[in-house]
Amino acid sequence: MKRLNPLALISILAILSTSCGTLGIGGGLKIGMVTDIGQLEDKSFNEFSWKGVQDGAKAVGGTAQVIVTKDIADYKQNIQQFVDQKYDVIVTVGFLIGTDTLAAAQANPGIQFFGIDQFICVPADANDKECKGKVPDNYQGLVFNEAQAGYLAGIVAGTITKSGKIGAVGGRSDVPPVVNYIKGYENGAKSVKSNVQVLVNYTEDFNAPDKGEASAKTMISQGADVVFQVAGLTGAGVLRAACNAKVWGIGVDVDQYLSLPDLQSCIVTSAEKRLQNAAGEAIKRFKDKGKQSGNYTNDATNAGIGASPIRNLSPVPAGLEDKIKQATEDMKSGKLKPV
Amino acid sequence: MTRLRAAWRVASIPVYSILLALLVAAVVIIVSSTFTATGFDPLLPLAAYLRLLIGAFGSPSGISNTLVAAAPLMFGGLAVGLGLKAGLFNIGVAGQFLVGAFASAVVGASLAGAPMLVGMPLAVLAGALAGAAYGFIPGFLKARTGAHEVVTTIMLNNAATLLLTWAVNDLVRAPGFTFPRTAAVGESALPVLIGRNLHLGVVLAVVAIFVVRWVLDRTTLGFEIRTVGLNPEAARYAGMRPVFITALTMTLSGLLAGLAGSIQMLGVIGFYAPGITASVGFDSIAVALLGRSDPIGILFAALLFGAFRAGAPLMQIETSVPIEVIDIIQALVILFLAADLIVRRLFRVRAAKPEIAELQTVTKTWGGTTPSTTPGGGD
Repeated sequence: MKRLNPLALISILAILSTSCGTLGIGGGLKIGMVTDIGQLEDKSFNEFSWKGVQDGAKAVGGTAQVIVTKDIADYKQNIQQFVDQKYDVIVTVGFLIGTDTLAAAQANPGIQFFGIDQFICVPADANDKECKGKVPDNYQGLVFNEAQAGYLAGIVAGTITKSGKIGAVGGRSDVPPVVNYIKGYENGAKSVKSNVQVLVNYTEDFNAPDKGEASAKTMISQGADVVFQVAGLTGAGVLRAACNAKVWGIGVDVDQYLSLPDLQSCIVTSAEKRLQNAAGEAIKRFKDKGKQSGNYTNDATNAGIGASPIRNLSPVPAGLEDKIKQATEDMKSGKLKPV
Repeated sequence: MTRLRAAWRVASIPVYSILLALLVAAVVIIVSSTFTATGFDPLLPLAAYLRLLIGAFGSPSGISNTLVAAAPLMFGGLAVGLGLKAGLFNIGVAGQFLVGAFASAVVGASLAGAPMLVGMPLAVLAGALAGAAYGFIPGFLKARTGAHEVVTTIMLNNAATLLLTWAVNDLVRAPGFTFPRTAAVGESALPVLIGRNLHLGVVLAVVAIFVVRWVLDRTTLGFEIRTVGLNPEAARYAGMRPVFITALTMTLSGLLAGLAGSIQMLGVIGFYAPGITASVGFDSIAVALLGRSDPIGILFAALLFGAFRAGAPLMQIETSVPIEVIDIIQALVILFLAADLIVRRLFRVRAAKPEIAELQTVTKTWGGTTPSTTPGGGD
């Protein structure tokens, strides 16, 4: 019997392994997170949302688990897995999974759903474009005040520009969050340098780095020495153009100094959605106040937005960090409106 | 009994490759466990594989998930396998899949309010035809100009992604969403037959397995495809038209890939958006190789890969083993299939005649050393 019989071996080991106990069962709330397509350690939406979910779980004495999504077709199944395992809270990440999250929330009223970066829109009927339908009691979209984050980025841009010209490249002009970011940015820059000139261009495309690069190049040739990207993948081209021209780029949504390591050398800051904070706070809200519904805006009042740490500048211009802090305080108190 | 033995002779290398891949991946899991919160755990692979098994087959919904995940891989595997039978390596399944999915999404959405018996068949048909058209392009180029299908299909994959992104952005974008996507397919969706998600597409996929098998084994066309694959010169000498067969096979391959996209769209996803990934496209190549281009082999290979996909969530929840392990296993399976000498040595499988013809096609087409398989190329 020299021959290895792998089938028998495997089956014996499989039987043995049933005896090793179940993992991850603790007391308290069971919180599950389904990621956006990609990987968990993406230094972007997935990673920071997951950190937030873990923070939240710790704060409420619960346990957290995550399923990483590799294909859009798996969204439903991944959410359902947490439903079948009787999880109390399910957090889903990114706008693309919104449709499946809404359906799951409607089908499982006993489970709380949070959608990170999902603006929930339930049309009342086929012709309703204003989201007049009823959002389920157990589903809350976590959205962000982009104008405030853009304002803080604008303060940075207005402070560091030498030419007095700065630029912003947007993805689409008909997507409100993009427009809000850029409006806030303009006003933020003007608050520190009232005569600053802001060049704005919408590429009308979120997936075309080449268009972003071309657009940013034009702005830089017109004298802009800081460019802010609010354009998804198109934005990577914007930042690349900044790097090539040795001017400053400003990232968006997450700290892109971390998420885009190739472009680190020219990213000075990012207008940030504080995903970690938003996810953690959402779980605490559910624990304290019960079912959460509607769209919940994360802004300066709940530390939901901010400017990423200033990078690559040494020394950091005098007073810049104080100005950011002061503006955040003023937005918190309602004294300062970014748009 | 002899039939069983014959079947085992064909299946032994793939089965051993899978086992070997699981063993090597187990080592990876153990090693990586030392870097995680769980700490060093030599039994972690067993716990993970057990959850994988339970997740995929341990409950009716698990089995349903496995079948639903396997269905597009069956179509995709058949698409690649059919090409390999004719000596063609279609790497364009990813692109043909997307084109098929998009066509079904658009036609489905425009008939979302029509009766299911009208909208659904038309949406499926649109996906199949779009895939076929997209497969015809490299087929035609190869037949006419000798342009290598590996090169053209890879490029057409990128062309599909970008073209469809543009189309969703600017042509068929649905109102009311903050991101570009098509409207929901509504009534055109493939009906769910059993449970929560076992849709009609699964039945279509299994039917396709037997249809393709019948075509390959029992029809003149199938005979010609196989002959052209084995030796185009001999096929020409025998009065067949290798040029025509090449173009036709790529078209049919594209049709099957388009159907993969169609059933995925109408059975599972429900709308097209630029973020849609076509992991099915590349997994299909692995499925075809593991199934040795044989429709029945592809059926089992697709079920295995579908089971991996369906079992992975439970594995992640209960053992915190990352889903990337699945990718490692799938890659290792292909590695061991290609390097079958390792498998033969380890398991003392007698060396047989050059059995894995499809792998030879892959190496041949990549190396480009067989001008005879590019009919018309020398003209």
